[in-house]
Amino acid sequence: MAKIMYIEALKSALREEMRKDENVFIMGEDVTRYGFGINRGLVDEFGPDRVRNTPISEAAIIGSAVGAALRGMRPVAEIMFVDFIMIGLDQIVNQAAKMSYLSNGELSVPMVIRTPEGTEWFGGGAQHSQTLHSMFMNIPGLKLVIPSDPYDAKGLLKSSIRDNNPVIFFEHKQLYTQKGEVPEEEYAIPLGKAAVKKEGKDLTLVATSWMVKHSLEIAEDLKNKISVEVIDPRTLVPLDKDTIINSVKKTGRLLVVDESHVSGGLQGEIITVAMQEAFWNMEFPPRRIGSLNTPIPFSGALEKKVIPTKEKIKEEILTMFSD
Amino acid sequence: MKVSREQKINMYRSMIKIRKFEDKLEQIYRDGKLNGHSHTCHGGEAVAVGAIEALSEKDIIFSNHRGHGHYLARGTSPKNIMAECYGKVTGTNQGRSGSMYLVDTKRGMPVASGIVGGNICLATGSALASKIKKDDIVTLSIFGDGATNIGFFHEALNMASVWNLPIIFLCENNQYAEATHREQHQKVERISDRAIAYSMPGKTVDGTDVLKVYEAVKEAVECIHRGEGPILIECVAYRLSGHSSGDLGAYRPKREEEKWRKMYDPVKKYKIKLFKENILSFEEAKKIEQEIQKEIEEAIKFAVKSEEPLAKTVGKFVYQEEVNG
Repeated sequence: MAKIMYIEALKSALREEMRKDENVFIMGEDVTRYGFGINRGLVDEFGPDRVRNTPISEAAIIGSAVGAALRGMRPVAEIMFVDFIMIGLDQIVNQAAKMSYLSNGELSVPMVIRTPEGTEWFGGGAQHSQTLHSMFMNIPGLKLVIPSDPYDAKGLLKSSIRDNNPVIFFEHKQLYTQKGEVPEEEYAIPLGKAAVKKEGKDLTLVATSWMVKHSLEIAEDLKNKISVEVIDPRTLVPLDKDTIINSVKKTGRLLVVDESHVSGGLQGEIITVAMQEAFWNMEFPPRRIGSLNTPIPFSGALEKKVIPTKEKIKEEILTMFSD
Repeated sequence: MKVSREQKINMYRSMIKIRKFEDKLEQIYRDGKLNGHSHTCHGGEAVAVGAIEALSEKDIIFSNHRGHGHYLARGTSPKNIMAECYGKVTGTNQGRSGSMYLVDTKRGMPVASGIVGGNICLATGSALASKIKKDDIVTLSIFGDGATNIGFFHEALNMASVWNLPIIFLCENNQYAEATHREQHQKVERISDRAIAYSMPGKTVDGTDVLKVYEAVKEAVECIHRGEGPILIECVAYRLSGHSSGDLGAYRPKREEEKWRKMYDPVKKYKIKLFKENILSFEEAKKIEQEIQKEIEEAIKFAVKSEEPLAKTVGKFVYQEEVNG
């Protein structure tokens, strides 16, 4: 199987879906000529009508994607950095997420917003490095997808484009150049299915996005001492609760690692989901790691204090086995 | 522009329907018979009827929180709108909306926006869909003067202009953004002047004259069909009611309100015009009023006796179940 980069996997999903369905189109800032390169070259095949550069107008990008989706198109809107999504928040929260419900299912909004988040030495600072997916978990009507490797990225993007709901597709800047095996033949990964990235029996480590890579490396480092099971939920909404709960019942220990700020974050939600079903199986209180509740600072010395790092995850795991 | 006698009378009928519907609804809220609140469109009847009459059946309309008149003008039954205000299962949204987010997909009216200016970008996207699909559907986005101060307005008009989209931005300038008079919320004298910033045509019309509104929108539709792109139309009217139910509009100068009510009430004005032109007789006018009065009374009865939605359906339609392909 060929190893390709995460951005190439995304591009290949876009290309295949655009070939398959003429209603699929891309819009966003500089999508034909700049940015992280996911869309580069697609305009040559599909033309500027379907790979559409927009003004720097996030509310209009997102809002017009909603409007086009209401009319049967399947837009894939790119928001260059997740931080910029805030300008279009009304159009996601008050409009896209409400259309199906308010119309008793008569209207659908089949759109995808693709956007990169996170940092780890990306150097974007406070307004270009945030991890914001957790806040969208509080909005019914949205689906949230967050793939951690090229295989998942391709399969999940294809399913997201085919889904009839508004999907926010969170990528991580550090993942873009990561390589992984992606088959040539057609495949799609259903939304709502977690992946057990590595089986283990002593500890359930739930990790998302860039944190999955760290978690797998740590699991490998610790393999002679602690058997770590690494679970990647892959989609936050819908959330595959069963896979997480069953793993925690088996291991009796749970650590959740996610780059969101910990306060009100995904970590706490997953712990609650697990504890409601697996509390009596626990051998150690569940733990969470996320970004500290400070903005993301520019300085590397400061940034590594704020975000979850490999060292912090490892230390936390060892603490959980200190008794 | 030629408007047939029949069409003129239909427009009158529509305006009466909106006026009577809103009168009655306001009374129901004042009597404390309904929960929540609604935004009646007293004074906006000519804008709703004139603009919507100028569209064809396949065209798309994005309405707003002050939207009852838009839906009534399009032909949505007063029964279903009233039932929605009552939160009943027979309502336009089966009780999920209330007064503000009405929907009528069969008549090309997606969910109305309760967020001021919230529909302007969505409507732009609908026009983008038309452009990509190369259909000849026109999208109409209706919003108030207050909405022209929000970022969506700027982003959407710029985008529509850059892409030459088939859309009419229709501003119902009713002089008030909630309780703030226009002079206190924007310096520009004519909202249509803002079109200059987007290199698109801008037009101001008398929004209390249904035929003027009709003519302006009809012309805009023709321009759009010729591929001439987006247009901004400002209809100057006056909100003859408060901002929402329960608001008596005490912040407005009495004389200002009296002047508009006496001289520019769109329903009264149009009625007199039709009398003068011998299009409508006193008897016909009376008959229309009585018929509509009855229709509204029946709408209320229908709403009152309709069932509440079943509690067990509360989680339905948050998500679409089916997947494409």
